[in-house]
Amino acid sequence: MEIGPIWRTMLRNKSSYVLIALQIAVTMALMVNAIAIIQERTRLMGRPTGIDEDNIFTFNSTGFDPNMDFQALVAEDLDAIRNHPGIDNAVMTNSLPIRNGGWGQQFQTEPGTDVESVGTGIYFVDEHGVDTFGVDLIAGRNFTSTEINWFDPESDDMWPSVVIVSAALAESLFPDISYDEAVGKTAYVNSVEPITIVGIVKTLQASWPSWEHIENASLVPQKRGATSARYVVRTEAGYRDEVIPQIEKMLAESYKGRIIRNSKTMTEVRNDAYASDSAMIKLLFFVVSVLIAITSLGIVGLASFSVTRRTKQIGTRRALGATRPAILRYFLLENFLISSVGVATGAILAVGLNMWMVQTFNLTPLAWYMIPSAMLVLWLVGQLAVYGPARRASFVSPAIATRTV
Amino acid sequence: MLNMKDISKVYRTESVETHALRDFSLHVEEGEFVSVTGPSGSGKTTFLNVAGLLEESSSGIYELDGRDVSSLNDNERSRLRNEKIGFIFQSFNLIPELDIFDNVDVPLRYRGFGNAERKKRIERVIDIVGLGSRIKHLPSQLSGGQQQRVAIARALAGEPRFLLADEPTGNLDSEMAESVMQLLESINAEGTTIVMVTHEPNLAQRARRNIYVRDGQLEEAVPDLQVAAAL
Amino acid sequence: MFRYYLKLGLLSIRRNPALSALMIAAIATGIGACMTIVNIEYVMGSNPIPHRSDVLYYVQVDSWDPNEAAVDVDRPPRQLTYTDGTALLEAREARRQVLSYMTWRVVEPEDSEQLPFQVQSRSTSADFFPMFDTPFVYGGGWDKSADDNGEYVVVINKEVNETLFGGEDSVGRTVIMNGDRYRVSGVLDTWDPMPKFYDLNNQHFGEVEEVFFPFSVSIAKELSSNGNTNCWKAPDSNGWEAFKNSECVWMQLWVELHGAEEKQNYLAFLDAYAESQKALGRFARPLNNRLNNVTEWMEIEGVVADDVQVLLGLAVLFLAVCLLNTVGLILAKVMRRAGDISLRRALGASRRAIFVQYIVEAGVVGLVGGFMGIAMTWLGLQGIRGLFGQSRMIDHLVQMNWTMILAAIFLAVMAALAAALYPTWRACRIQPAALLKAL
Repeated sequence: MEIGPIWRTMLRNKSSYVLIALQIAVTMALMVNAIAIIQERTRLMGRPTGIDEDNIFTFNSTGFDPNMDFQALVAEDLDAIRNHPGIDNAVMTNSLPIRNGGWGQQFQTEPGTDVESVGTGIYFVDEHGVDTFGVDLIAGRNFTSTEINWFDPESDDMWPSVVIVSAALAESLFPDISYDEAVGKTAYVNSVEPITIVGIVKTLQASWPSWEHIENASLVPQKRGATSARYVVRTEAGYRDEVIPQIEKMLAESYKGRIIRNSKTMTEVRNDAYASDSAMIKLLFFVVSVLIAITSLGIVGLASFSVTRRTKQIGTRRALGATRPAILRYFLLENFLISSVGVATGAILAVGLNMWMVQTFNLTPLAWYMIPSAMLVLWLVGQLAVYGPARRASFVSPAIATRTV
Repeated sequence: MLNMKDISKVYRTESVETHALRDFSLHVEEGEFVSVTGPSGSGKTTFLNVAGLLEESSSGIYELDGRDVSSLNDNERSRLRNEKIGFIFQSFNLIPELDIFDNVDVPLRYRGFGNAERKKRIERVIDIVGLGSRIKHLPSQLSGGQQQRVAIARALAGEPRFLLADEPTGNLDSEMAESVMQLLESINAEGTTIVMVTHEPNLAQRARRNIYVRDGQLEEAVPDLQVAAAL
Repeated sequence: MFRYYLKLGLLSIRRNPALSALMIAAIATGIGACMTIVNIEYVMGSNPIPHRSDVLYYVQVDSWDPNEAAVDVDRPPRQLTYTDGTALLEAREARRQVLSYMTWRVVEPEDSEQLPFQVQSRSTSADFFPMFDTPFVYGGGWDKSADDNGEYVVVINKEVNETLFGGEDSVGRTVIMNGDRYRVSGVLDTWDPMPKFYDLNNQHFGEVEEVFFPFSVSIAKELSSNGNTNCWKAPDSNGWEAFKNSECVWMQLWVELHGAEEKQNYLAFLDAYAESQKALGRFARPLNNRLNNVTEWMEIEGVVADDVQVLLGLAVLFLAVCLLNTVGLILAKVMRRAGDISLRRALGASRRAIFVQYIVEAGVVGLVGGFMGIAMTWLGLQGIRGLFGQSRMIDHLVQMNWTMILAAIFLAVMAALAAALYPTWRACRIQPAALLKAL
């Protein structure tokens, strides 16, 4: 209704308005990008590993006795664990999803050294692997016990000839067919050794949380190791925390030439994997809150000043017939205009900052709705912040107008 | 036009009660030009505030243009001020950030006129006060006399029936004061009722009727203006 | 005169307590946010071995896949193959050279009451200790002859010495690891380089190993690395010998070189070595050998995490918001006191006097803001510790030193002065008579 005169007033008294607008703009740039990072991290943390995270735990058995019969020990251990009450299944493997450390390999669809290849995380398992991990086998079959062998470093054995891959890996290896058609296809490992895909699991993440191809993972039927074994155990629902100390104690006592250590639930593995992301999220939330608080305090402070400075003027307006709501509206509208300049500038700053961060730190570009949402939020914050001083202004008595000083 | 009966205004602070107006009664006919004089602290300004609906009286009856306004709420009082009353203040009270046009525009905005109507009225009243060439100037670029002319234009723009002037020449030199007075007289001649508070006897004399306030009360007989001047 | 301005400043701060508090809080918060991140970046990026960082060089040679670079873009692999590592070590073309990799060992205390425990260990060569200037409580490193003869000697850290020997001088005594008996040659004093610069291929801020023993022993014991091992081509067959001779990279070589000439000579030597390997059918990629000193290598390896850089950027913007806030508030204050300024000018204050008066006031606000900012930084660091949990790095990060404290105060005062500049300039422009008339 009276945008024209308010706008012209602001233009005549630029500096203080420019300062608030700039503050809002920088706040917006910061807020938008912080929230974009929060969104990105939340998305990363929300990806499923594909395994039964609630009921899985893992630990190491590290042997130091030079006379240890490692293979016999592993067989005994697995037997004992699988028969322990409260346990669904167990397997010896080399790593777990998102554990930050594991085995990687390149697969390719043609043999040869000069061929495009696809990276995958590797988990060496026996026929209990699929069940222990709790992965969803959506095509093909599991390994059979006859396919499992101990890796013999002294032999010339080749890589095992069958593999179960994640659907994502199947799709990157064979982009032209659907993943279930990949069952039975041959891929090559170590450039030339053929492997047949016998099964597809819906989701299985590799061991490195920040790897760009984390969804590429494979189960390989083999037992490996000479002194140290990593066991992965899936418990019946609700028994996990109870059985961990029981298993540790049982194995430690069954053979003294080794150390049982590093037990971790999958929940802990996940927390470790995303510890810095989750800290970053909290940190950024805090920063955004403090920022908005500071900006609104700034708006409150400056609006209070402006009301005090303009008391006479407000009284005059009241004398000339402005109602209380009209005075309230005046200050709200003035703030809306400042905020509009602020958020418009802020939109440009936010996009600019985001472009720089995308380039420098490989962040994902802003979602389209971030800018309008941030504008709305800051408009609202501005209106709320100015409401107090504006209300005070509306209570200025019109009789002020006749006061001479 | 204006009818006050037994109006009292009491200001209370924690320790003191001040009776700014006591059983103040006054009748002003439509088209009159009344001057109000009185010593400092006599209640002139309180009278002005009550008459202009800037303040509510503590007791008594106040009829403006035949309507009892004692019990109106703030919004209704604001509207009445806007529609019926024009104000001229001693220190002009122009809004420093707004140019002449926008200053005159202020009451019209609150009236809710359309763009064309407002523009027509503003240009008309600015012509009346003879500042047509200064329409884009800021108050600070005008002399005191010119600023008061703008204030008068602002008061006239809403075509009020009733003009309240508070020491309209108090901040002006005599030459400028004279031109402002002439302007007021010509406005009165066109039918607008004017009540003017002043402490200058020679200005008060130019009004058709003089009122003297002392200790918050109207002194019935118009006193000897020479005495008032001496106070 | 300065004291007079100081008095005026304090008076003015006291007269508007809410406003002054808001300004101080804004500066303190901005400084706190900035300094928290700057402190983290400072600790992360600080030179772990300042007196030797420019004579220690990390060696890279490009033994990688002819079809693809090891690291984008066209960078050589981050570690060395066994073949290249041992060849360069044995060539002894630098003043000193050390080859090493990370392993795990299980220590069995002789006292059968104590349980065996696992230790993080490093297989390395004799020059490790003098090159990296490691502090010893007892004894020292081993001789080159121990490397050459594959002697079972070990350097243990203070904690392991405490566990095994109750903190006594254990030089000459025996430590049993995985069934083998090692003679203690030295006990390390607390050594806590941040970051763990000599092995940036694994965790940048990982723990320093607890036990060090000769590289020749670990090779004889067929110990592979517990750090990263990367291969562009599978070993020719299974087994240790094939792995040793493979193109897998898993060990790190540091050399000590003094001055540009030695560096040039060593690079020339590396190029000649690469050419000799090309003749053997290896090193199919173009010559791409590199020598980087400690700080260069830290930079290349991105020791200061991206997250920290992002946070630093955001913190600077945060400070900007706080400063804009402060500028606005000071401006409002000056405008409100325009009458006062006008009066002072009328009473004979020069522009310069007004300027000094307001700058002094801003300086006081900045100083108080700076001290509060240090408190905020401390809080911020505690918050970071709370968020990221306890670790060697975090414990380092949350320590503040005098440099940082002084920097915080300096930054706060500078920020407050910068914030005050525009409002003060406006104050100076107020005319002596301008407001007196309007009053």
